[in-house]
Amino acid sequence: MSKLWSLSLLLASLLLLPAAPLHAQVDQPSIHVVVNLVQLNVAVTDAKGNYVTGLSPADFSITEDGITEKIATFAEGNAPSRRVDPSTGKFAVDYSIAAATPGEGFTAADLPQNLSAAVAGANVFILFDTSNYMYRGFVFAQDAISDFVRSLESADKIAFYSYSRNLLRAASLTSDRSAVIRGVRTTVAGDDAALYNGLLLTVRDAAKCMGRKVVVVFSNGPDNASTVPPEDVAELAQSTGIAIYMISTREAKLEPVSTAVFERMTAATGGKAYFAKNWREEKEAFNSIRDDLAHLYSLSYYPQLNPNRGWRTITVKLVGERLKKYRIRTRNGYRPEPARIASSAATPEATPE
Amino acid sequence: MKPPLWATALAVALCLLSGPGQVAVASAATDNLPQSSAPAPSSANTTGIPGPMRSFLRMAGISQKAPSEEVLPLLARNVFSQGYQGSGTRREPTEFLLLLARYVQQARELQALAGSQGMLRVTSCDDAKPLLDVLGYRVRQDCGHAGTFLETANAQRAFLTTDSGFPLPELERTLQGGRAFEYAYPTTQVRVMFGEKEWLDIGKKDTGKDSHDLVDVILRDPALARLYWGLSRMDEDTAALLQQSPGLPKLLEAGSMLDFYGRYINVHNGSVVVPGGTAAAPRWKEMVGESPDNPGAFILALLSKDKGWMAAYFDALSRVSQNQQAHLTQAQRLQRYYEAFHGDNRGMHAARPVFRPAPGLLLLVTRLQWEADGTPRIPGNLEMWKKILRQRFDSRLIAEWGKRASRFNSPEQLIEAMFAISRLDSENGPLQIFLLLNELDSRKFPAERLTPETQTLMAANFLSYSNQYLIFAEFPELNDTSIRSFIQTARSLDNISNHTLRGNGLGTFQANLGLWQILARQGQVPRDKFNESWQAMLKPFAKVSSSSQLFDAGRESLRQVLLASLGRPNASQDEIIDLLAGPHQSNPEDQRIHAELADRMRAVMAGQRLISLDAVLALGDGMHEVQQVKSNTDVLLGLAEELRSFEMPQPIFSKSERTQWAAGIYNNRHTDLQMRTDLTKIVRAPESAEQLAEARGQLTSFLRDTLVGLNYAYYEPPGAQILHHNPLFIRSHDFAAETVMGMEHVWQAPQLFGTGFPAGGGAHLVGSLADLPYVLCQAEQNFIAPENVQALIWEQVVPGLLTSAIVPRWWGVSRQEMHAVTLHQREGEELLTASVQDKALRQKVLLILAERMSPQRLERLQRAWAENSLPVLMPRILPADTFYLSVEFRRKFSGEKATWGAAGTELSDLVRDHPDDVRWERLSRDFGVPHPVLAQTYTRELLNLEPFPTFTGYSSRLLAESWDSNNLYWARLADEQGYSPAMLNRLAPQLTHRMVEKIFASEFEDWPALLRAARETGEEFRQGKLAPLSADAVGPVSGQP
Repeated sequence: MSKLWSLSLLLASLLLLPAAPLHAQVDQPSIHVVVNLVQLNVAVTDAKGNYVTGLSPADFSITEDGITEKIATFAEGNAPSRRVDPSTGKFAVDYSIAAATPGEGFTAADLPQNLSAAVAGANVFILFDTSNYMYRGFVFAQDAISDFVRSLESADKIAFYSYSRNLLRAASLTSDRSAVIRGVRTTVAGDDAALYNGLLLTVRDAAKCMGRKVVVVFSNGPDNASTVPPEDVAELAQSTGIAIYMISTREAKLEPVSTAVFERMTAATGGKAYFAKNWREEKEAFNSIRDDLAHLYSLSYYPQLNPNRGWRTITVKLVGERLKKYRIRTRNGYRPEPARIASSAATPEATPE
Repeated sequence: MKPPLWATALAVALCLLSGPGQVAVASAATDNLPQSSAPAPSSANTTGIPGPMRSFLRMAGISQKAPSEEVLPLLARNVFSQGYQGSGTRREPTEFLLLLARYVQQARELQALAGSQGMLRVTSCDDAKPLLDVLGYRVRQDCGHAGTFLETANAQRAFLTTDSGFPLPELERTLQGGRAFEYAYPTTQVRVMFGEKEWLDIGKKDTGKDSHDLVDVILRDPALARLYWGLSRMDEDTAALLQQSPGLPKLLEAGSMLDFYGRYINVHNGSVVVPGGTAAAPRWKEMVGESPDNPGAFILALLSKDKGWMAAYFDALSRVSQNQQAHLTQAQRLQRYYEAFHGDNRGMHAARPVFRPAPGLLLLVTRLQWEADGTPRIPGNLEMWKKILRQRFDSRLIAEWGKRASRFNSPEQLIEAMFAISRLDSENGPLQIFLLLNELDSRKFPAERLTPETQTLMAANFLSYSNQYLIFAEFPELNDTSIRSFIQTARSLDNISNHTLRGNGLGTFQANLGLWQILARQGQVPRDKFNESWQAMLKPFAKVSSSSQLFDAGRESLRQVLLASLGRPNASQDEIIDLLAGPHQSNPEDQRIHAELADRMRAVMAGQRLISLDAVLALGDGMHEVQQVKSNTDVLLGLAEELRSFEMPQPIFSKSERTQWAAGIYNNRHTDLQMRTDLTKIVRAPESAEQLAEARGQLTSFLRDTLVGLNYAYYEPPGAQILHHNPLFIRSHDFAAETVMGMEHVWQAPQLFGTGFPAGGGAHLVGSLADLPYVLCQAEQNFIAPENVQALIWEQVVPGLLTSAIVPRWWGVSRQEMHAVTLHQREGEELLTASVQDKALRQKVLLILAERMSPQRLERLQRAWAENSLPVLMPRILPADTFYLSVEFRRKFSGEKATWGAAGTELSDLVRDHPDDVRWERLSRDFGVPHPVLAQTYTRELLNLEPFPTFTGYSSRLLAESWDSNNLYWARLADEQGYSPAMLNRLAPQLTHRMVEKIFASEFEDWPALLRAARETGEEFRQGKLAPLSADAVGPVSGQP
């Protein structure tokens, strides 16, 4: 019964957004069917920055380009996502479903995997600056990241990447903490800094995962080697539902460009920026991110018919007077990808299995 | 005590998997260095490396995959090339050298802790303290609990610990109460050339300081380090002879010369082998002042003569074929050419720059052609060259030769001039003109060679259009008229005063030209229609003075390209993409590959969010007459709306911030103009034909972008990201160099601007579309993530490798042809194997391989034969080596009936049954690589050259262009796995991408690292480990050719 429901949901969702393609062998060679579920990670805090917990789907309203959307799934923290009855706004029969994002189609056959992804906590991608800019304080940064890795919930999966001029995938997504810490300890400092190139590749990797995913960047800020601008990276993160958190080890005033990017990119994706003056503040920043991950609400919806093929603005609000005093942090929109070409066709990568 | 079994097993695994995330918990006995082809070192000629080899290599910047006999040479190389900054008394050690020296000190401290058994052991928290003190860490929280962790106590020491890859996590686990920590901390013996004591003595004399061991000496003495490196590049017998005479102390000052120019100095049977052989020996004796029969004196004199330029000349001539040497070393030439090259000996020392100077010399001696009577072939005639040399070049030397040129009466004199000019560091001088015209001429039938007038015209415009001329070398069918019309049209476009119009004109014109080039290359423009279609394509651009004229010209030019290719002037964007993807395929599997290539191009167009060609052209076509617009208002309105569909990326910076933080970098005037374009008003209420013409003109920039986009999409490098994620990349291509100051030559190869400016909107290209494949690969290369910690993408080499994978297409290749490529490589291996037993065969094989192997490589091969260790050496032989060996053996010894194995027999059958498929010209065309710098053309060819060294101005680009092993090897892999040749269209880019991920090089000329990466990729492929290939690839086909 539940499978039948899921399948019909999928069939009803053969809309515009491309994603993991189901190659339909019809007349044209590259028609792809997709599921255009939009997933949001939402942090709700009070005026002091304390997390507000215990909210229900009915407490949220979502609009996309001003069109009211119906919440399809809902979860708090690391709890599994639950389907929401669109007619009542309350939880439907006790059946959990994975949250997927644009760019992630799934078939009925995939559902068991989706379910496990839903209860698996967040996928955390850590991106560590190993450029010349990070030379001083490198070992303290390694210590701080190692602490962060140890402190994450056991349900979370972690990948550890580093970048200088190139990206290094030092530890691929795993729940084995020691493998990640080994990755942290194998990093080598030196060379130019291509932060936004590295971040783009990290976001792309994260986008391939099921479930909630965030990227945590630990960087000194400067970039002297990227060929893509931060706005392209931010758009990709927004469109694939990935929150970016950034920790800079330098004082904001020293690097105004990076400061601007860090603050705006994180805000646009629903993440947060931290500017730590010393390694203690770095650790505090990591603690804050860990708390955030544990308290995010995961909401998803199937967009109502929307003719806009360009940028779509998402607005999330709390419903009711008693909740209006709280603040909301989530991504502010996304750009649907072109319909006919799947991203997988665009990026051939001969990566070993 | 022996190391525990688990440690040994882990270490063995590390030998196989030295990728990221692997931690060395290894014993001395199993440290992970690749198998050496050198003899096992005896204690008399070894020195100890303190600590695990893996850590030392990390700190010394040496690839983990370097063979053990290369450790000291590479250390020496990195010390003199990266260890110091400044010069003379102001020379100071770099951070690299300081860290390395500190690491060696720390390693010795750890060795002391490891004791005589060479094992660091920690069983309890108390044990750990001395070790942690040396490592620079301390225990946080109570030791012995699950929450025990290490944290930095001494940043300097901790940095060395982590940078050298000490297995801290394992130690941490022990401190948390886990099992005992045991880490082998051995001294690894590595081979020393000649013996350590001799080097220690020289080091003491040179620096006045005693040293602990050779590692210390090398770290302290860059001159000695360079000598060590230089000698290590020579064959062992010659190096040993030099050690005896003149001896190492006397050679110390010549270390830099040996580094740059020593590799081909070779002593055989008591004499130096000179270019031109024994016939030329007397002439070399005269020039050098010592006899080659007295090797020590000859070599020392050669290295020290004329500030090293004699050695540079000797080296260049040694690298070319025997046939070329014979010509160049003839009595009337050798000294004369050298005197010209040497000139008045003004200027710097030949070994002073970071890279070898005067790359033009090697290019000249490699590519110079000869007439049947043995005289040098010169393009055009002498009168033409007199004019060219008198052209205005910014060089006193050229001006001097320009004056002398009036007295030229033989080609020899012109060649002399070229040798002289080859000393100059220039990209657009007379030598480059000569090399280009030489290539053009050599590719034409004598009767079709260009007239001197055309060549003079080309030379006169060389500074502006030299990079554009590459297309004429690629399509030698293009005649005088075609070339002249190109220059006229280009000049006409250059004369457009309006910057915007000029930029759009240059872009649209070159984009159409690029499409023609692709289609002609793929055989989709009939060869006999090259000139007709070329000229028809250029003609519409002859007179352009307004945007609407430019739109119409671009439209008409495209129609002519399509007409030549499709037989009809119109096609939709989808049809054009299908056309560019390659000729129509009849086999369903090949059709699938074809469709895949087309889809990849569509993905780029979509990623760039370019307005479809169909919309732009339909709008343009519909806006000629008022009545026409009125009767199609709805359709045209829809199309006009589509023009407005592009949105800029969501901004992160304000305008003023961009001005402040990316002044001169962020400039999207072209896109801004497009964003303001609104034709809906005109479509709703057209008033006049003039107004419509103006509106049509506004479509020009959209037409330009889409046509340019098709070019970019065709040459998409594997793993490209900018093309898919920065929608301003193509729009920002600055054809008229509006956004940069001082860039005059807009027709030259584009340059990448805007890298590393976060507020600059991303990198973009400024310049023409010439050399676009290489430049796109250059722009995208750093998105490739190296597989190995510390490995970096190799600038200059990687774009060259990628270019060689994306420019060739394999649509017209037969299975027999691809199989012949395999069989030639296998037959080459059979010849090498048969030579173990057959000494007569060895001589023949050596004769052939001497054309493309350095003396050191030849010596190693001979040693492998003698010691029966060929299987160890075989993986280090290039696929191109075995391929050429087979091809040349068959050519040189065609009378021999015998074959040397099954592959040879099969190849003979194939040659007999399919002579046309397997002839050399065809193999060269289909499996060769483009040589835009080396041979001034994008024609795919096999040139049979040894990998080129690095040069000033080119760095490693010539190395990449002389690397033709990849496509030969990929073809063999595909053939062996039963894929069709068309599959190479997918495989070659993918395998090259994977190979680049695996490259782990130690220095700029480390081409063995390329070979290692290719072999590893091949193994993965054979084992079906490359995901996209095993997941949804077109399956192997049944039946071999």
